[in-house]
Parts: sequence; structure tokens; C-alpha cells
Amino acid sequence: MFGTYVVRRCLIAIPVLFGVSLLSYALLSVTAGDVVPGLALNPNITAADIARIRDNMGLNEPFWQQYTNWAGLLWPFGRLGLFHGRYTTGLLEGNFGNSAVNGLPVMSIIATHLGNTIELTATAMVIGILIAIPFGIIAARNHGGPIDNILTALSVAGVAVPSFWLGLVLILLFAVGFSQWGLPSLPTGGAVSSFGGGGIGDRVVHLILPACVLAFGYLAVWSRYMRSSMLDVLSQDYMRTAQSKGMSMLRAIYVHGLRNAIIPLVTLIGLELPNLFAGSAIIEIVFSWPGLGLEAYQAATDHDFTVVMALTTFVATMVVLGNLVADLLYAVLDPRIRYG
Amino acid sequence: MIGASPGVETVEAPAGLPVSVSRGYWQQVVVRLVHNRVALVCGVIQVLLILIAVLAQPFVHLVLHQDPYAQDLTDNLVGIGRDGHLLGTDQLGRDVAARLVYGAQVSLLVGYLTVGLQILIGGTLGILAGYYGGVVDALLMRIVDIVLSVPSIFLLILLGSLSPRIGPITLGTTGPVTLAIVIALISWGGVARLVRAETLATKQRDFVLATRSLGAGDARIMFRHLLPNVVSVMVVAASLSVGGVILVEAALDYIGLGIAPPTASWGNMISDAQEYFYHSVSIVVLPGAAIFLTVLAMNLFGNGLRDAIDPRLRRFR
Repeated sequence: MFGTYVVRRCLIAIPVLFGVSLLSYALLSVTAGDVVPGLALNPNITAADIARIRDNMGLNEPFWQQYTNWAGLLWPFGRLGLFHGRYTTGLLEGNFGNSAVNGLPVMSIIATHLGNTIELTATAMVIGILIAIPFGIIAARNHGGPIDNILTALSVAGVAVPSFWLGLVLILLFAVGFSQWGLPSLPTGGAVSSFGGGGIGDRVVHLILPACVLAFGYLAVWSRYMRSSMLDVLSQDYMRTAQSKGMSMLRAIYVHGLRNAIIPLVTLIGLELPNLFAGSAIIEIVFSWPGLGLEAYQAATDHDFTVVMALTTFVATMVVLGNLVADLLYAVLDPRIRYG
Repeated sequence: MIGASPGVETVEAPAGLPVSVSRGYWQQVVVRLVHNRVALVCGVIQVLLILIAVLAQPFVHLVLHQDPYAQDLTDNLVGIGRDGHLLGTDQLGRDVAARLVYGAQVSLLVGYLTVGLQILIGGTLGILAGYYGGVVDALLMRIVDIVLSVPSIFLLILLGSLSPRIGPITLGTTGPVTLAIVIALISWGGVARLVRAETLATKQRDFVLATRSLGAGDARIMFRHLLPNVVSVMVVAASLSVGGVILVEAALDYIGLGIAPPTASWGNMISDAQEYFYHSVSIVVLPGAAIFLTVLAMNLFGNGLRDAIDPRLRRFR
């Protein structure tokens, strides 16, 4: 039965991936007139040239043919030499197309920026977990007291605060302000210093502000869940038994309570897995963090739509695969899910 | 619906019987909501914000005596309460208070319109999927999977820079109405899932069978009998997502792909102001605080409404 579930879950992902790529390409083709940016503005290029360039790019073919070429759906035919006409590799063979502005393959853009995005989001998630768990425990132990109320207010605020604004205020305070006042300050943006940067310490210093802003959002949600599940656990009989046998409250929490209370949190964190690739676009833009989100934004402002579309498709693919992995992991961890 | 009277409530919903959607149920909701002080205060704040947004023009001219678009470079970046400007002026000498009021108009319009469209699209498709099941359900839920897997901020960046035209409609992000349509088109998936699940549970109940045996058609069952039973799920989902939509809208304005200047929005006020931080801290802080307080009020009201509509969900308190 488990095998059937795995196969079925994988098969469901295929039409979703197909739909994601089709959606992105359809969006691009609606504006196909502007696919080559700035071409019409160049006085040395005639209308005939534009028509020729568009023809070379395959933009005059019917939509379905353009899409199958771009997605590489015909790759078995292409590989076997059965394909007549112009054959190019597509998405299925890992070719996400080239930038219309500088001709770089999108795959190389992804290769240089994906690591930065994961570095930022993963750090933020780890910070979020490390603070959310103790916060949740403290709030649950002080249930209804002033500390609980302060932590509740903090988490309610964390959900409502605009992250880009929080990032901006922190930059203005810790980077701009502190350096003005002659205090040790943090860098305003980027992942490494322009001059002599790149060492571990340099990267960590650049990571602090964006990761903390991103972690604040995770912290707000996760500490609430940790609090409520810890409250549940604290009222369980086995906790009372442990204490009646002479175990201290704190020891009972760490020996018995924590591993039970943490289960809902693990589920929640699993659901955030896809955000490793997509969760930080706005923060990347605010902090000029050279990740996929900033790259997509810059390509968009350059009107390099093929890059934006390819990045969107790539991140969406990662989200679908991340969900798939999360679902399969649950099936392994929790036998009750298998037949679901 | 409003104007709760406890007497009617007990007659219509005697203790011990499951409370179905009826006048009494909604009266109980209002009673529970009014007894939740935090939710009540936040509800009042929301109503005040709506009033200010709707009456923005007379409010700005008659109360503040200012024009949000009038520039005065000899009087720029003045502090709070100076030269007749309640909250100071920005880098072009425009009155910050007046611009905040106009920004509220944009944020609230985008927030409520988006959520309304989410409910319309997600609710309709969710009921259809839940009611018909089988192939319709599988197909619609795969579409939901697709919509939910494309990261919204990437899609918004793409749409914001492309402004694709579909027939006569341009799906741009520079005007509040089109921006709301765009955000709704990529964010209705969550509502659809919730409504589908609720429809699946509701259609098993006996009254649906009874209605069908009386000869009611599919459309009648769905929209006259199932809809009132799933509407509470929709209301909760809507009230909890307005805040999130406003945050997305502000972020998009801030990065320059949303509401275009000179139209004042809280997001583009922040991006305009950030370079003048040295001269005036308040022009960066005030629009952000406006977003924060609005979203806070909406989230807390949504929480209160959820507790009032379904007291079983109150276990987190």
C-alpha cells in the first residue's frame, strides 16, 4: 500500500508541473510583442530585422509548438533523431532558456543564486526554530501571566508587521544610524563586502539583518503553535505522573513534554520546506541579497521577461517537489497517512 | 441579523440541539463578538478606517485643510505639527496626514476587493469540487495545486512587469482595481480548499438528501442549501486574509511594481521617503505604522470573528 501511495503521489505531481510551466509560458506569450526588450527603440533596426529576429526566436510559430519546444516535451524524439526541423533542448533537459538581455543561460543564473537564497531562508528558519521553542515553553508555563501576554503580543505583532518596512527600519538603525554615530555597524545589503569580502565572518555579518527579519515572521507563527501544543502536553496525565514521582517540572518538560509537544511544530516546519526557495523574495530585494528573488526582480525591471518566467517556473517546480518530499516524509514518519 | 435578542436565540436554538445556520445562530455570533473586547475594539477601528477611506476627500479638505497632492518645496520635510501640517510634510512638501488618508483608501480597496474576489472564485470552485466530486473535484483540485505552487511574489513580479493583455483587459498592477484582480487570481486556492472540505462534510447531511428527494436540482442544492452552511468558513477565511493581502499590496508598492505614484499608497510613501530618512524619521515610520496597525486590527478582528463563529476553535486561548 505504501508503494501505491508513493506512486500515486508522484503521478499527481506531473500534471501540476505541466500546469505550472504552461501557466508561466502562457503569461509570457500574451506579451510576446515585447519579448525582446528595447528592440523597437533602436533606430538602426528596421521592422524587417525585428520580424527576422522574432522568426529566429521561434515567436512566429503557433503557441503549442512554442510551448513544446520551450518545455522540451519532444526530447525523446530529438534524442533519437526522429525530430524533423529545428530541435532545441527544453525544460525537461534542464534548459531554461537564455536571457534576452545578455544571452546568459538562465540555468547558470540559477546556479549562482540558488545557494544564496537557501543560505538566507535556512538560517532564518533555524533562528526561528531555536527561539520559537523556548518562547513557546516559557509562554505555556506562564499561561495567562504577564510574560505569556508579552510573548503573545510579540507574535501577533510579528504577523502584522510589514517585513520590508521592518527590514528598512533595521537598516536605517543598525547600518546607517550606527555608522553615523560612530558605533560598530552592520552592512546595509549584499551577501559579501565589495572589497576584501567573502570570508565566513564577512558572510555572517551580512546575513544577520536579513535573516533576523525573515526569522521574526517564522518565530511569530511557530512560537504560537509551540505554546498551544505545550499547553496540551502540560495537562496530560503522564506529566502529572512524572512530577508525582519526584521529577521537577522543568525536567519533566525536557524529558517527556518536549518531544511530544514538538510534533505539531515539525509538521508545520515541513510545510514551510518549499519556502526555502521562495520565501524570501521581498527581503532579498530590500537587502540587495543576491538570491533568486532579487534576480527575478532585477530581470523584471530590465524587461528581461524570459528570465523572470524561467525563474518563476523553476521556483514553482521546487515548490511542487518540496511538497512531494514533505508528503512522502510524513508517510514514512506517520503510518496512519499511508492510505490517505 | 444584527440587533441580537437573547430571548429569540433560546427559542430558535434550544440547549442540547446542534445549532444550524439560522437567525439565532448569527445573533449568537454577534453576541459572542461583542463580548470579546479585543475583537470589538478592532472591529470599531476597522469601521473607522473604512469611514475615513470612503470620506477621504471631504475629511482631508474639511478636517485637515490640506491637499494630498499639493507640493510646496519651500515647506518640505517639516516636523510633526509644524506649519499647519498635522503629521508634517514629505520631501515634496506634501501633507503626510492627507497622504496617509488617501493611502488608506488604496489599501482598504485592494484588501477588501481582493478578498471578495477570492471568495467569489475560490468559493464557487470549492462548492463545485466538493459537491460533484470525482473527475470535477480531481481537475479543480489540481488547478488549485498549480495556483498554490507558483510562489505569489514571483508571479506578482512577473505580472507587474509584463502587464499582460487578455482581450480588452490589462492585468496591470498599477491601479487598485486591477491589482486586486491580479492578487485574487493567484490567491484563491486556499479558500477553494477550505470551502471544498466544508462542502464535502455538509453534503453528507440528511437535509441535503431530503432536499434532493423533494426534487431540487444540483444548482438549487448547491447555492440555496449548501452555500449558507459553508458561508461561515468563507467569512472566517476572508476576515483572516484581508491583512495578508494588504501586506502583499504594500510590499509590491514598495518595490515599485504596485500602485504607481503620484497616487499615494502606504507602500510607495515608504519607498519615496527612505532616501530622506536623515531629514525626517517620521515620513518612513508613519506609513509603516499605518500598515502595521491596520493589519493588526484586521487580524485580531478576524481571530475574534473565528472564535465567535465557531467557539470550538477557541482552544488556543
